[in-house]
Amino acid sequence: MAGGERQRVDGEPAFVLHTHPFRETSLIVETFSRNHGRVPLAARGARRPRSALRGVLMAFQPLSIGWFGKGEVRTLAKAEWMGGQPLLQGEALLCGYYLNELLVRLLPRDDPHPGLFDAYADTLQRMAAGLAPAPLLRRFEKTLLQELGYGLTLDRCVDGGEAVAAAGEYVVVLERGVMPSQGQPDEQPRFSGKALLAMAGDDFSSPEVLAQSKTLMRMLLSHHLGDQGLESRRVFKELQGL
Amino acid sequence: MQSPSSLDELIEALRCLPGVGPRSAQRMAYHLLQRDQAGAARLAKGLAQALERIRHCARCNNFTEQEVCERCASGRRDASLLCVVEMPADLNMVEQTHAYGGLYYVLMGRISPLDGIGPRELRLDRLLARATDGVLREVIIATNFTNEGEATAHYLSEMFRSRGVKSSRIARGLPVGGELEHTDSGTIAQALLERRPL
Repeated sequence: MAGGERQRVDGEPAFVLHTHPFRETSLIVETFSRNHGRVPLAARGARRPRSALRGVLMAFQPLSIGWFGKGEVRTLAKAEWMGGQPLLQGEALLCGYYLNELLVRLLPRDDPHPGLFDAYADTLQRMAAGLAPAPLLRRFEKTLLQELGYGLTLDRCVDGGEAVAAAGEYVVVLERGVMPSQGQPDEQPRFSGKALLAMAGDDFSSPEVLAQSKTLMRMLLSHHLGDQGLESRRVFKELQGL
Repeated sequence: MQSPSSLDELIEALRCLPGVGPRSAQRMAYHLLQRDQAGAARLAKGLAQALERIRHCARCNNFTEQEVCERCASGRRDASLLCVVEMPADLNMVEQTHAYGGLYYVLMGRISPLDGIGPRELRLDRLLARATDGVLREVIIATNFTNEGEATAHYLSEMFRSRGVKSSRIARGLPVGGELEHTDSGTIAQALLERRPL
């Protein structure tokens, strides 16, 4: 909406993606809500030492929030902690930042994506439970691209719609889709038919699929992110470089 | 009427303070010039002096006027313990407990990937150099229990582990004198998860 009309929302499932200090004691909270998408909210007094919102407005925790107001930044009325999920720790926490950065960078404001919200909540839940993050991240990236309308058909070629064969070798052309690798320039990364079919079926269990899907998702995401790289990825890399 | 340019400049300069917008900056400038010129002069002198003299301690990174701050230079502290905190205010809180006799390292921030603050911006290589001086036995990571503080703690623990430096994390849970009835559910949930055997 982001227009002139007044809005009053209550009991909305949401996550905090990021917060910025605002005025003396307030916060601007970038939220991702289930039915209203990414909504920026002003949380008045949330930075006061004894504010009840302090421990609540934390990223990666399922919240139930309410807001009112009009214009781009609306006012947070309340936020409750829904619980049931341990805090993210260690590597999973850095992966969480990666998800949040993707959403902040790619998801337009006030654009509802309940399916993406559920995928996000599920990914966090599984990471908090200690599952390996890599397959979860790849699946989330795929859902994200689909929800934003950038989804690709992975089990058929673009010209003629010929089915992808498990034994074949393919390239993925940006904005178009899968093509047989014959005659394609060498700098185009090659993907095995087996890996493409597994990705199409959301099966990221084998190491080969995992490696190829990482290459593919990185290629697609950087195309949509433009020149400015992801900070969370840089921090993660510096950590791995220790 | 056009306002004089040095007034504009002062207003613009005051806006660099956190939480100060154009309106507050204007109010401050008028107050300083009209009502409290002596205060303004003191402020100007104080700022100039601090800028010139204050620097980061070579050992703990806290603000000091010397090369090495008094606390680090004092022989009375236990040099085998190093407590890593985010900000000088955190150091003051730990000091107030009188429960810690070791030395400190102040990060002057925290890792916050979405704000572009990573290990490089925090100059963590300096901390690593400090922690591998040979005398140190244990690093206590006392960053905040926010997501950023936790990310920082994770990074530090991995960094120290890879260099064979022993590190520990301060505990979290119910506050001293805390009652379950009046504690927020996030804290109770985490206290249950991180319970310890007796």
